[in-house]
Amino acid sequence: MTMLDATRPDDAAPEPEVDNYLTYTRGFRSWAFTLDHKRIGIMYLVSVLSSFLVGGIFALLIRTELLTPGPTIPGVDANLYNQFFTLHGAIMVFLVIIPSIPAALGNFVLPIMLGAKDVAFPRLNLCSYYLWIIGAICAVVSLTVGGFDTGWTFYTPYSTTTSTGGVIPVVTGVFILGFSSIFTGMNFVVTIHKLRPPGMTWFRMPLLLWALYATALIQVLATPVLAITLLMLIVERVFMIGLFDPAMGGDPVLFQHFFWFYSHPAVYIMILPAMGIISEIISVHSHRHIFGYRFIAFSSVAIAIFSFLVWGHHMFTSGQSPLMNVVFSLITFSVAIPSAIKIFNWMATLYRGSISINTPMLYGLGFIFLFTIGGLTGLHLGTLNTDIHLHDTYFVVAHFHYVMMGSALIAMVGGLHHWWPKMFGRMYNERHGIIGFSLVFVGFNVTFFTQFMLGSHGMPRRYYDYASEFQIYHVISTIGSYIMAAGFFWTLYLLVQSLFTGKIAPANPWGGRSLEWQCTSPPPHDNFKTTPSVGDCYDFSVVRWSEEEGGYVVDRDDQTAPKPDH
Amino acid sequence: MANIVSPFEDPSARLSAGRFGMLIFIASLAMIFAASILAVMVVRFDDDGVWPPAGMPALPVTLLWSTIVLLASSATQVLASRAANRGDVRGLRRWMIITLALAIAFLAMQGWAWSDLVDRGLDFSQHLYAWTFYFLTGLHAIHVIGGVIPMCFVTARAVRLGYTREDHRGVAYVAMYWHFLDVAWIILYLTLLWAAGSLW
Repeated sequence: MTMLDATRPDDAAPEPEVDNYLTYTRGFRSWAFTLDHKRIGIMYLVSVLSSFLVGGIFALLIRTELLTPGPTIPGVDANLYNQFFTLHGAIMVFLVIIPSIPAALGNFVLPIMLGAKDVAFPRLNLCSYYLWIIGAICAVVSLTVGGFDTGWTFYTPYSTTTSTGGVIPVVTGVFILGFSSIFTGMNFVVTIHKLRPPGMTWFRMPLLLWALYATALIQVLATPVLAITLLMLIVERVFMIGLFDPAMGGDPVLFQHFFWFYSHPAVYIMILPAMGIISEIISVHSHRHIFGYRFIAFSSVAIAIFSFLVWGHHMFTSGQSPLMNVVFSLITFSVAIPSAIKIFNWMATLYRGSISINTPMLYGLGFIFLFTIGGLTGLHLGTLNTDIHLHDTYFVVAHFHYVMMGSALIAMVGGLHHWWPKMFGRMYNERHGIIGFSLVFVGFNVTFFTQFMLGSHGMPRRYYDYASEFQIYHVISTIGSYIMAAGFFWTLYLLVQSLFTGKIAPANPWGGRSLEWQCTSPPPHDNFKTTPSVGDCYDFSVVRWSEEEGGYVVDRDDQTAPKPDH
Repeated sequence: MANIVSPFEDPSARLSAGRFGMLIFIASLAMIFAASILAVMVVRFDDDGVWPPAGMPALPVTLLWSTIVLLASSATQVLASRAANRGDVRGLRRWMIITLALAIAFLAMQGWAWSDLVDRGLDFSQHLYAWTFYFLTGLHAIHVIGGVIPMCFVTARAVRLGYTREDHRGVAYVAMYWHFLDVAWIILYLTLLWAAGSLW
């Protein structure tokens, strides 16, 4: 057992007596019943990436089917195609992107970055994970009882009347996944409030923690609305109550209002933690103090608050009153302000920084590029008159893929590279990582930029068949999706390969200053033997390269001595 | 288990985090109730007809009595919590037993109101008026059951005099949750009265 010695962070060398969370205990049970946030994070990571593979296969099936107008893949008819895109959407949203950063990466890094031994409620944390598993099983069950073809939004009246038998299991699954998300959010809020060590003030927290905190607030306050809505949907489908049926006195738009009251904030559940990761990556890999710390921190909170006020922009063509449309349109534009604040602050951080062009940084720069496109095309959709034209076309598909995939998922993959050495104690091959990024980035833009053109030419989303004039765009888009798939498989290969042949990672391979870079790679079982002392986590002037460590060390002469163990 | 790491330095930090966690949980539940009430209001506003519709029974007066019982249980829970804070374990035992009895009485009265309305022909799939009643009371009852179960454990421990002045986290958490259900019920009940045209 080593001490986490603030003045000597050189216990990175994997001496046998250094305990690490991966080998602390062994056997299946020690993982299945673990209360260690790091192991739970790793289990989430494996589960989420497995779901990503399944959702990705459905994406490739969709793209392949759209290579030619009419039937393309033998045996895939329009009904099966409807199930493909529904499954792709539902899996990617509920099983992949929503839990990807908070539950997988967040669980791993949040307590360490904060300087805590674990999250506030470790048992609840494990419970969240198993709720996720149960929710995922429900989704699988729905496939065995006839699948579902409602689209991931489960709009009524289609979801209450469709003949596919899997609607109730999958809606139940999403209901359960919601509780997984709520409990994770609760855990993070309480952890950040109650487990900050001495010296870790709110404004010394790494910006990822601010982002996760804002995300957790949305998870806690918006997800319950989805839960009750889905419950009403199940009852409606089983008993035909008429709550969403105007013939029986109900309100069909009520479902849309409730659904988007959750699902619009949910897109910020996806993007806010991504922005947090980018704040870390940009600052650490340009070795420069983050510019406008408080602006970035508060813009996260501002986005969380705005997220509750803009859901109506999904319903401009659903028969809302014109006044409501105008109000929602205006508030929607205001979200651009905190988003742009972040972009400009990242640019200012890069300016005159000493930028390391490595894989995490490339994903970071890729994020800024893709999020800017995704964000700016959102303005066309928030504008009432252009939205009438673009609504339900591929323009929308392209827009939200730029934000959800090009931004949220790219940040997740970037973060994975960034913390990979910390998680597993191995360095991946940098050259291979850059090849992986290039394939993903090029493939992504080829796939989805084309879809902006498809959409503005009038190609509706979710169609199985199309006029032949659209074919060239569909072919380009499909080729792009294959390039992207190659990039992701390559990334999987290089990361797995690093576990076996990768260089042993130093404690601090990138020159980071936040607390997770001060414990060994991989971290010990209880993170910190002594309560760590906290400085400005973006002050890189005290970080220097140490040849003997093979990594960076932090000169902590500005710090008070760590407090003795309790 | 050997691999448990307690993230807290001392029991008081744990209690403080637990109370805060309960508060967040309650905020989350409040959103469920708020959305449900909103749904009922939307449905009621959309309907130009008279509620209760012809041939359907009005809200039973049992609900008023059950409301009083629930309020009383909240009051005795306050007395139980105060006893716990004083370290008065016998007082805690007395008031927890009474609170639990009142809680179960509330559930029984709600169940009785349900079966009474079912007997009088309030079919929930016939009209949204019927649905709103079963929906709101049922939603609340599920949460009450979810409160009575931990309350049973807390009462059992209180009966064994297992709490001390320093360590009675269970009592504190149950009390917070119970007062929330009390407030939620009053708002739900007023909503039902309003929807049924009994308020004004």
